Amino acid sequence: MKQQSKLELIVGMFMIVGIAAVVYLALRIGAGTLVGGDTYELQARFSNTGGLNPGSNVVISGVPVGRVEAITLNTTDFSSVVRLRLRKDLKLPTDSIASIKTSGLIGDKFLALSPGADDEVLAPGALITNTESTVDLESLISRFAFGDVKDKPAAAATPSAETPPATPATSTAPVTQ
Amino acid sequence: MNLRTLFPNYAVVAAAVSIASLPIQARAAEASETLRAAVDEVLALAYDAKATTPLSVRVRPVVEKQFNLEIITRRAIGPGWKQFTAEQKTAAIQLFTDVVIRTYANRFEPGDRPVINYGKPVIPDAAKPALRELPSTITAAGKTFAVVYRVEQAGDSWRIYDVIIEGVSMIANWRSQLDPIFQKGGANAVIEALQKNLAQQPLK
Repeated sequence: MKQQSKLELIVGMFMIVGIAAVVYLALRIGAGTLVGGDTYELQARFSNTGGLNPGSNVVISGVPVGRVEAITLNTTDFSSVVRLRLRKDLKLPTDSIASIKTSGLIGDKFLALSPGADDEVLAPGALITNTESTVDLESLISRFAFGDVKDKPAAAATPSAETPPATPATSTAPVTQ
Repeated sequence: MNLRTLFPNYAVVAAAVSIASLPIQARAAEASETLRAAVDEVLALAYDAKATTPLSVRVRPVVEKQFNLEIITRRAIGPGWKQFTAEQKTAAIQLFTDVVIRTYANRFEPGDRPVINYGKPVIPDAAKPALRELPSTITAAGKTFAVVYRVEQAGDSWRIYDVIIEGVSMIANWRSQLDPIFQKGGANAVIEALQKNLAQQPLK
């Protein structure tokens, strides 16, 4: 009798450990959250983030170092602001470049960081403005292949007033979760 | 398809870079106004039918005045820049400037004068009021290209530190080429690569 309850206890503990492992893996692999490591957040401003999604990989030299947490629209200048979560041990120079790349021709989009050479590093929450947006490949190909039907403008336009700065924390509305 | 190799095949785009990548000058005036003046200056040089000296020679003083060449070179080389000696940095800035000017100037093909439209200047980051992005479109030979100039205020002048054509950054483009060279052979390999590139591009 005593031996049977001991066996049940071991089986129960085994089940609990198994469930915990499954939950951990689900969070780690599926949800895009880096559980268990120190992380910090950065933001990056793009004119176009088409195809990039929350959970997309952030890589440096092809090595995953974080995830895209959220993508929001700046309703002032209609730019796209991406929130990234990176490993805390990464110290990125302020002149680092964030580019949206594609795995192959039609693969998933990911965000590639190219560290710069500045002595100063990006503080948590800082905004990366040196960015390369998604390249509209279809539009480019069609323009090179078939030409452009747009008429030439009659005269150079005059630049108007400056667009106010991006203030992602207060003036953005989420477009994707 | 590699966009970085696609672009150089089109002289129009090269001309756009040549025009666009030429500088801004400003003294306390707005960045966008000085960009227009600088572009006009470059266009005048590019379409000067009486000029006998090569375009790259003619535009160099304007580029040196309006571009922040040290920052551009440093950022184009990337993290390896910190391992360059002072002499290597000086040599790299000179060589990189020559390579960039000659690359784009040699591809310039005089045709119809391009039409340029300027958009609203943008302050990309409220925490960095000295930065501006100046969007524009260049229409040449029936094709329209989106060109964004990134400029930074230093004192009372604005200087270009990057040009983005159809979403492709000039600095990112060069960094993707120079950083691997540095990783393989260090600063000397970068300088040798720039020297070799320059030797392959005669003055036109």
